[in-house]
Amino acid sequence: MESLKYTLLKIIHVSGLTFLEPVVRLCYGEEPQLQLKKIGRFIVIPSLTFLAFLVAWALIAPVYKTKSGEVPTPAVVWDAAQGVKRFHERESDKQVAYGLSGEERETTLAAVTKQRAVLNTMKADADQQVAEASEARTALVAEEIEPLATAYETKKAEFEQAAKRREAALIVKASQIDQRDIDAKNELLAYIRGHESQTEQERELLKQLKAEQDNVRNLTYTPLQNAMRIQTEIAEQEQYLAKKEEILSKANRSLKLEEEAAKLKELKLQYAATTGPDLMPIAQQMLQIEGRMQKIVDSEYAKPWTLPMQIMRSLACVFAGFFLATAIAIPIGVLCGVSPTFMAAVTPFIALFKPVSPIVWLPISLIIVGGVITDPETHWLMVGLSNLPLIGWLQINPAFIASAITVALCSLWPTLVNTALGVASIDKDHLNVARVLRLNFFQRLTKIVIPSALPLIFAGLRISLGVGWMVLIAAELLSSSEGIGKFVWDMFNNGSSETFAQMFVVVFVVGAIGLLLDRIMIIFQRLVSFDGAPAAI
Amino acid sequence: MPILEFDNVSFGHGIGSDKYEVLTDANLAVEENEFVAIIGFSGSGKSTVVSLLGGLIEPDQGAVKMHGKPIGPPGPDRGIVFQNYSLLPWLSVHGNIELAVKQVFPGMSPAQREDHIQHYIDLVSLTGAEWKKPNEMSGGMRQRLSLARTLSMQPEVLLLDEPLSALDAITRSVLQDEITRLWEQDKRTVVMITNDVDEAVLMADRIVPLTPGPRATFGKEFAVPLERPRDRATLNFNPEFKHIRNDVTRYMMDINAESKRLNVAGNLKLPQIQPISLDVAPNIEISVV
Repeated sequence: MESLKYTLLKIIHVSGLTFLEPVVRLCYGEEPQLQLKKIGRFIVIPSLTFLAFLVAWALIAPVYKTKSGEVPTPAVVWDAAQGVKRFHERESDKQVAYGLSGEERETTLAAVTKQRAVLNTMKADADQQVAEASEARTALVAEEIEPLATAYETKKAEFEQAAKRREAALIVKASQIDQRDIDAKNELLAYIRGHESQTEQERELLKQLKAEQDNVRNLTYTPLQNAMRIQTEIAEQEQYLAKKEEILSKANRSLKLEEEAAKLKELKLQYAATTGPDLMPIAQQMLQIEGRMQKIVDSEYAKPWTLPMQIMRSLACVFAGFFLATAIAIPIGVLCGVSPTFMAAVTPFIALFKPVSPIVWLPISLIIVGGVITDPETHWLMVGLSNLPLIGWLQINPAFIASAITVALCSLWPTLVNTALGVASIDKDHLNVARVLRLNFFQRLTKIVIPSALPLIFAGLRISLGVGWMVLIAAELLSSSEGIGKFVWDMFNNGSSETFAQMFVVVFVVGAIGLLLDRIMIIFQRLVSFDGAPAAI
Repeated sequence: MPILEFDNVSFGHGIGSDKYEVLTDANLAVEENEFVAIIGFSGSGKSTVVSLLGGLIEPDQGAVKMHGKPIGPPGPDRGIVFQNYSLLPWLSVHGNIELAVKQVFPGMSPAQREDHIQHYIDLVSLTGAEWKKPNEMSGGMRQRLSLARTLSMQPEVLLLDEPLSALDAITRSVLQDEITRLWEQDKRTVVMITNDVDEAVLMADRIVPLTPGPRATFGKEFAVPLERPRDRATLNFNPEFKHIRNDVTRYMMDINAESKRLNVAGNLKLPQIQPISLDVAPNIEISVV
């Protein structure tokens, strides 16, 4: 039992999840007071802070109304996340359904038809609910508006009369003035100004009353909103089920194949029964059908990119860029650290290119990659990559490569600088040991220089990965390479309130993935550090 | 034929008027299988002597010779135990020694190498700690590891650069006995730098003081004809031991006093000023035109 405890503690220590340590110790009955205090500090307080943040968000959000609806509250964002998940599940379902054949297909089809029947009854219910709620709302609105409308009308009439009276008085005054009486004329001018400003004020007041009425008309009636939400959900589900039914019946791969096979059989019989020049058109038709059948066999359901798939593609892109950056930065960094001349030669470039933003690199790399890979359909690299077994489904295109290059260009600087520093700051004593042992250059490099510099190198790699992940989302947004960035851009262009909420979902998704990547790099950093210095909190 | 000798060696830093002469015309001859202790003050160039003997730096004038020929670059025939141990912190005890052994004896088979390494680990009493890393060990253990690594190279000459300065007094005495025991096993030539007179008299055959820097050189040598094995407990009552120890200490303090006297930074002659008056309230009227 004791050994289990120490194994757990070691795992916790290496992985950096130090907040779990008091929990384990408490389970083994070690110093309960101290452990409870630590749990309070490291688990309870952060959780409470997060809850407070959620509450503050829920209270502040409805205050702001935008073109795309209100700023979403946590509840709305959670719903949007569920919506994204549902969309992905349904699309995967449809993809599977496309490939079903034989008895499986029949059973699934029967199930779907039954589901649709059930759904129809639910739909009728929902429609009725919506109608009722809508009626209730109109009644409510009318009730509330009535006093406002009457008030508005009376006020309007009042003001009109008052304005007319004032004008009449002014006209009388004007006609009484002698032509050469300048004072009186100025006085008249002042009265006219007063009349104008009064009219303006009255107009403003009327506008306010009108705005109040409009507010009431835009009243959000919660029962109606809920009913409409249910209705939309049901409509979505119906659309999904209808499409699935179609995929299982008319558009199904196996069914299409059977159809073509039947036609082919007929043609074969015909082919066997005729002779002479008639053979040619029949043969051509047969070959055509064979070609079509081959295409159908290879075909897949045209699944649109869903967020989970886009996340995978983003991760692939960031790792491609990261490994490219590492492959460039570490050798150059080692050379810089070993030779001060090389370092002096490279320093201007580092200083000049480090601050350049990824948004500037991206168009340049898009143009260059586009110039190298002129025809993506036939270029050997693209074709080769799309035929690889595991990563073929990613559909690597020139935009992907351009994004990866941008990530590499922006994230190689921390690794480069840290590697150079690590290699240059080796203890002189270690080098003396190398001299006494008569190690040659390569041995010195691999046995002393690089192991001594590894902690700093991994620190640089960790920073690079963090920078790369941030850069990637921006690069994807601009390069339209399928990924999380593209998802955000699509949601932005969509402009509905649900897509607005989905953008908030992306905030948390990107943050969570960044957290995970950082934690993984921390584990690697801890594994190679030998001086016991803490890698991170 | 001395195995190791300094032949009019001079060494300094800097150029021109900034030149700081560490050693000037230093002469030393170390016989084979002899234990020589070099005593010096701080900053007198002790580490420079070891670096010169090891071949890590080259003298400006004169030559360091081994077996009569000038030494080349550093190598495993002159094993150095550094003052800061110089252990590779990412390797364990076993790994540190293995690195040296692999480099010096590339022809050994893995089994032979394992025996060799284990032999030296046992020799310095580090058995059981083979897989510890240096940062998990105490200072005494690290020093033993450093010794084991250097001994495993089986050098002809062992150069110890203040090996025990960084340890507490008790560990010091333990390791003094350890080093003496190791030396008595195969009587390799040892040159040890130290700043402790007692330690030098206890362990060495010959004591060579280093005069204080700059322009340090080797002073009057003291032979230590005490019989081995030397027991720390009884030595304090041995008149010869006390005599040698007092001689050396007095010599060191003398040369230090002399150097202090000689090293006055320069005499400033102050102008002779006589005050006008030593009265408390001078009644002098001064008129300024």
